[in-house]
Amino acid sequence: MTLTQSVAGLLPELCVLGALVLMLFLDLLLGRKDIRDPRSTGQILTAVALVGTGLAAFFVVRTPDLPGVMFGGMLALDPFARFFKLLFLIVAAFALVFAAMSEEIPRARLGQYIILLLTVTFGMCLLAGSRNLLMAYLSLELVSIPSYVLAGFRRGDRRTSEAALKYVIYGGIASGLSLYGFSLLYGLTGSLDFRELITGLTNLAYSPQSKLVLIVAIMMSLSGFAYKVSATPFHMWCPDVYEGAPTPFTAFLSVGPKAAGFAVLIRFVQTALGGTLEPVIPWPQLIGLVAAATMTIGNLTALVQRNVKRLLAFSSIAHAGYLLMGVSAGTDAATRAVELYFVFYLLMNMGAFLAVQAVRARTGSEDIDGYRALGSRSPLLALILAVFLFSLAGVPPLAGFIGKFYLFASLLETGTMFFYGLAFVGVLNSVVSLFYYARVVKAMYLKNPRGKAMPVPLGPGYSVLLLILAVPTLVLGVYWQPLINILSTAAGMAH
Amino acid sequence: MKVPLLSAMVFWAFAILAMASAVFVAFSRNIVHAAFALLGCFFGVAGLYLFLSADFVGIIQVMVYVGGVLILFLFAVMLTGKIRNPEKSNPSRAIPGGLVTMLVTLGLFGYLAFTTPWQVLPTVPTGPTTSQIGDALLGPYILPFEVASVLLLAALLGGVLLAGGVRGRSRLTGNEQDEAPRDSGGNT
Repeated sequence: MTLTQSVAGLLPELCVLGALVLMLFLDLLLGRKDIRDPRSTGQILTAVALVGTGLAAFFVVRTPDLPGVMFGGMLALDPFARFFKLLFLIVAAFALVFAAMSEEIPRARLGQYIILLLTVTFGMCLLAGSRNLLMAYLSLELVSIPSYVLAGFRRGDRRTSEAALKYVIYGGIASGLSLYGFSLLYGLTGSLDFRELITGLTNLAYSPQSKLVLIVAIMMSLSGFAYKVSATPFHMWCPDVYEGAPTPFTAFLSVGPKAAGFAVLIRFVQTALGGTLEPVIPWPQLIGLVAAATMTIGNLTALVQRNVKRLLAFSSIAHAGYLLMGVSAGTDAATRAVELYFVFYLLMNMGAFLAVQAVRARTGSEDIDGYRALGSRSPLLALILAVFLFSLAGVPPLAGFIGKFYLFASLLETGTMFFYGLAFVGVLNSVVSLFYYARVVKAMYLKNPRGKAMPVPLGPGYSVLLLILAVPTLVLGVYWQPLINILSTAAGMAH
Repeated sequence: MKVPLLSAMVFWAFAILAMASAVFVAFSRNIVHAAFALLGCFFGVAGLYLFLSADFVGIIQVMVYVGGVLILFLFAVMLTGKIRNPEKSNPSRAIPGGLVTMLVTLGLFGYLAFTTPWQVLPTVPTGPTTSQIGDALLGPYILPFEVASVLLLAALLGGVLLAGGVRGRSRLTGNEQDEAPRDSGGNT
């Protein structure tokens, strides 16, 4: 594509960027002392940011479906990128509304929060299309660096500062490892472009001399992506950051940047490693083993958590494991299954964190004991949270079950022993996960409250938002075919 | 490949400068000395860049790292209130584990560096590279170039936001904070 066409293809990202720049000025103007009114200022800023993301989503949908590459091969414009961009913009819109409702983000600092959130969104959208190692690295950092700040957004809290610091240090190590891996790949092939990488790597793969260096380079390159999706052994930051960060950002972090990591990981393994390298470098098996380890560690550690945010953090690690199974299978059906799972995961995980945010706003507690007898103290909230948790566990007839079903089916379709085994591990893990989700539900319905049971009033804002997320979780669990139809082409990538 | 003696001597001088300073950074117990030793490391690396005909990168290395980053390090060390005694401010911990990691990485990457069939440029470019880099930045690499500027903006804002909390006032907007920092030492 020519430069003009490329810029036109970049319109969604430019909308986000425009909203970001506008926000910088608005925050300065509206934050002035003489006209300051934090509440309405917050509403104006949120509205502007929502318009920006909405406009971006409009351009994403409107882009004609021509698989092509922009900016001389830096970015791909294809159905795969389009799906993920739309997902990110929806996640961002939800996170903006969550933040506007949350007491954890002071009104006066809402503008700063929105600016950083939009930067992350801009990075995620670029990451979805990146098909060049340089672009992928820059977008990855664009997602990471504002995330570090947002993780430490709550000031004066030791836990938050510690979480943010851990996040930065782990992030720095993972990013350094992957950069070294990229440099090895560049040294081997003389190119950073995914398509050129695969030809170069395939030429090399059959000489015994370069087998070791290929394995080292690929493993190191993958570590940066593994960190973003919180895969073992780069998952350690996850529980601390989820616990320490403000809940609206935790909800965003658990879906958005994770999906962005998956988007670039899938594109990297499919276009840069692809099928021809598979006989020599067994990357599907490698990712499969990481997947098994990730979900097992996530689920087993979640069993002993007392803090619900930490519990959901380990649950999100486990989900990264399930989704990595789809990445390792590498077929188009598996990619579509991962995409489908992300739609459901967006609904149920954002919903679960919103419920946590609502409970925290009313009771000030994130501990599982704070959820005792929630069934009688706030029937609607408890019911909806139970729906989200059971959906995360993959209990039919909820959306999470359909997601898991397609994921496991895509593994079995490959017809190899390795993926049968992997699917078996996945099913075992789902059973284990039911225990800890059920523990929260048990606390809500079967436990007596400690002390006096205060009712937990749920404001209209929370009720509406929770229903917006809960109703599709229920409906898509029984009537998911339209979504399958929409996603039927969404695995297509530009070459 | 035969390397002329003078080139070899220049190479080894820069390599030894970089390595020796890096070792000093890692093992010095005084963080101020370690920061100064970083100077030698940066210069050594800049020399290696020049040696590889990357004149622009070499100069930028000196300007940005020696002129900016290093000075920033020193200021950060001087302004950090928690350092009671600079003589013992940079203790070496977990030496055995570090040693094992070092030997393993050294062995692995050393082995890889010598056995791998790297892509080699047919001719070594000579002369200034700056104009070529400029063309590349505004040609095929225009998008990464622009995105890098957004990344820098994000980092700048993030830095301001994190540092702005110390006085309980947001520097970006000038608004007063809703919350009072309970632990003012923890977020500097």
